[in-house]
Amino acid sequence: MSKLIGRVLATEKNPTTMDEFNFWTNSDLKLHAFDIVKVVHIEGSYTFGVIENISHITDAQSFLTNFISSDFGDVDIDEPTLRVGMNYAKAKVSFNSKNLYTPVHNNAKVYLATADEITTALGLKGIQNPLVCGSLKMYEGTSEEVTLPVFLNSKFLLGPEGAHLNISGISGLASKTSYAMFLMKAIQDQYLKADTDDSVAFVIFNVKGKDLMAIDRPNDFSTDNPGEKERVLAEYKALGLSTEPFKNVKYYIPYTSNTSAKQSTYLSIDDVKSYTEYGQLKKFKYSYEDDKESLEMLFADIDDPQQTMEAIISKIIDDNDQDFGGGRVNTWTEFREKVDELSQRSQPAGRSSQQRVSNEISVLSWRKFKRIINKATKNDDMFANRPDPNKHECRLADELKKIRENEVYVIDIAKLPEDKQAFVFGDAVRTIYNLKLGEYDAESGVEPPSRIIIFIDELNKYASKEIPKSSPILREILDITERGRSLGVVLFAAEQFRSAIHPRVTGNCATHAYGRTNSIETSTADYRSLPSTYQNMLTRLEQGDYLVQNPIFRSLLKIRFPKPIYKQFK
Amino acid sequence: MSRTAESFSKPKHNKIMNILAEATGGKSYKAHKYPIDYADRPSIDYGDSEIIWKRRAETTQHRTYVNLLGLSKKLASRDDQILSYFLDGSRRVFKVDDIAFVQSGGRSIIYPVIAGQIGVGCCHRVNKKVVPVQLKREFVLSMPDVADADGKPGFWPATAKKLSECDELKRLGIEFAAILPYKTSKNNDKKLEDRATACVQDRMIESEKKLVAELVREGKLNQNNYLVKDGSLEYRPTKEDKADKRRYQTFKNNYNWVIGVSKNFNPEVCEDINGKPNPGFIADLPLYHRTPVAEYENPMLGDIKFAVWYIRLRDKEKTRTPFDGVLKVEKILVTEEEIEFGIDSEQVDTLSAYLINERNPVCYGSDLRWANHIYPIYLTESFVKSRYLSAESFLHLF
Repeated sequence: MSKLIGRVLATEKNPTTMDEFNFWTNSDLKLHAFDIVKVVHIEGSYTFGVIENISHITDAQSFLTNFISSDFGDVDIDEPTLRVGMNYAKAKVSFNSKNLYTPVHNNAKVYLATADEITTALGLKGIQNPLVCGSLKMYEGTSEEVTLPVFLNSKFLLGPEGAHLNISGISGLASKTSYAMFLMKAIQDQYLKADTDDSVAFVIFNVKGKDLMAIDRPNDFSTDNPGEKERVLAEYKALGLSTEPFKNVKYYIPYTSNTSAKQSTYLSIDDVKSYTEYGQLKKFKYSYEDDKESLEMLFADIDDPQQTMEAIISKIIDDNDQDFGGGRVNTWTEFREKVDELSQRSQPAGRSSQQRVSNEISVLSWRKFKRIINKATKNDDMFANRPDPNKHECRLADELKKIRENEVYVIDIAKLPEDKQAFVFGDAVRTIYNLKLGEYDAESGVEPPSRIIIFIDELNKYASKEIPKSSPILREILDITERGRSLGVVLFAAEQFRSAIHPRVTGNCATHAYGRTNSIETSTADYRSLPSTYQNMLTRLEQGDYLVQNPIFRSLLKIRFPKPIYKQFK
Repeated sequence: MSRTAESFSKPKHNKIMNILAEATGGKSYKAHKYPIDYADRPSIDYGDSEIIWKRRAETTQHRTYVNLLGLSKKLASRDDQILSYFLDGSRRVFKVDDIAFVQSGGRSIIYPVIAGQIGVGCCHRVNKKVVPVQLKREFVLSMPDVADADGKPGFWPATAKKLSECDELKRLGIEFAAILPYKTSKNNDKKLEDRATACVQDRMIESEKKLVAELVREGKLNQNNYLVKDGSLEYRPTKEDKADKRRYQTFKNNYNWVIGVSKNFNPEVCEDINGKPNPGFIADLPLYHRTPVAEYENPMLGDIKFAVWYIRLRDKEKTRTPFDGVLKVEKILVTEEEIEFGIDSEQVDTLSAYLINERNPVCYGSDLRWANHIYPIYLTESFVKSRYLSAESFLHLF
């Protein structure tokens, strides 16, 4: 039998309701927010509640009473009798075993729940297409401690029922990337084992150091305490996951010639060499001919109220354009020369601009365009004439088109400046989106899996509220979050401050993971729906702890996940 | 048709007053029912002044206040306790009806009927936490003695039994323990209500005495486990107590490890060395000091000798009147030695110092008498009161 821990309180001022109830417990009993309790209810049913807050009260009527109790402020006074005090906990009703949601009665017995009951109460029982998303601990630090794996229905994470994941939390303490990687590892594990028509592939952007540049190498736990490795591996096994890192991983780094002093990756030259030898790594290039359409991605963060940049870009990609079309420009060099020429061209005579032909672009705009283009493409090996497949070079879009099921593509953009990161990301996302739209179906070797997961950290760079509405990348992201669910393009995104993200992006995510954050963030409107205890809890979550929200969970869950199983760079 | 008429005429439940009226042959007036208790507010008990103050009753003949600050600090730092048990009795009295009896000449005289709830509780302090040990709860009635028409013994217990067997009380699981007759003769000018209340009060004191005796019998009280009783120890030994000498000695022995601590007292009773009443002597008692121990006898209470002294727990400046924050402590002189030479002064000092340490925590805000309350007693009182039937439910029985 479960342990009896208290009784329900119902008074005139604090009644029990269909949603919540209070109960008293011994003040020394260890309970935590998110713990589940079981209350005896009518007709032999049980009502389950999630603890939201715990308060301690004494019979002291006011602070003054306590002050007087120390001889009017003598800090050294100890009392021979402890003041009568008790704890009472506020719990939110999550479930009733017979669907009887009438308020629980006064003095009803409150028990700790068993593992099985907890699973039922949280709506975690009998989940279809189970995908492990972490584990939860109840009654931590007591002899009744329970650890349970938490499963969610993968159809609600990867579509078609619900899709997209948003992870928020402050850098370092929240381990957002690790959580996304954990989930993707769980997904890959599941699909490698599963015998379904469904298939999945991953496109991961590495944005920091070489963090994600060895995800197929095992973690050696060299910087951890002895015994940590065994503990972590056991955790993976307990969750029903393999203890191996990612499989079928390919790495893509921006091209720089081997002789160049400035490398575009944090990987060492030796690493690059050995990866290349294994056939795991390719360097990507952008050629003018094939990638000029992606040029607009370079302008994602540029204010363009008159849409002059947009006009220039459409002129450039127009095949019939008298300056750029019809094969007049074929390389980046020619392109820059042409732009240079246009920005030099003197204005037609006459003072006012009204006399100008309507489609003519002002020379000032050309100059602005030139500045941006030159900064990005000049002196950058990535913008080259053509990739040489014999030297393990490629065009990223061509590679993405050929992504197969269970493959993991890691695209390294960590060392690129922000505008070029946006360029690579935008180009890749567009390619994936078009791939799933079926635009390349006619090409040979194109066999996309039914779902492609894109993981990007620092989403705020591409989809923050401050990004100009005209930003092509924001447009791509909105397309994915709003329509990707049915197409099979799933966005796993992470950012520090969720409140900074475009509401249409967060609004379309079915799953939300809240990691540790600060109180400025929790006071924003995005967190208003959370009870204040949970808001405060967010500010002191431990590393590896997340509050997860998913349509199939009856309430927010506090889960934890094990340390990464792939190689870590400290 | 006739059935309906019948069921209309019958009262739904046979109420207590109907049964009583029937049993005693009186006429119930269904008068206004109301509580007649006083609220717990600080007051000076001007009480009986018949108490005779006698000589000093301690081994050291102190002539003035004794400072206990040092001792109480020393004891506080030791973190041990000898005051372990706390006892409090309380009653709640209600006037529930008026009942008329026909007397000589066909006149009928109206008498009040008083009902009371009596609760006596005892708590034990373990590891600084107070836990309930025992509770005695009783419902009693007090009726005029003339209600017993025959004047035969056994009438009142029988009536009480009859009452408790009625359906309504059975349904609620309530029993009336006794019906206490109050005297109606006009030989003193006390109001009838007060006489009835006094009967209930006496019953409560009896109950307290029994509880103390039980604690002693169970061997719970000893030199390391004193019982602190709320209120005066002026227990009147019953006739039965006095009749049996051994029983009388047991009665006194029961109180060897008991001290009475009163919140209210009559400062007039305190006399100075010259035998003049001197309330100022208590009013001027400095903080954390005690008065010398005095011995007094109360002829009403038999030959029992009491040792009495006062302690100031709270700074005069911080209370409303100079008598707030002063505790009156009583102990019965039990052994021959004590009766002859008084209580050991060291013992008085120790007990007083422990009591001084009881000044915290306070029940400021919840009880107006916070300055005179000690917390464990306050808790015991709260415990007892929490077990009362609410006034509404109780009055509804009648």
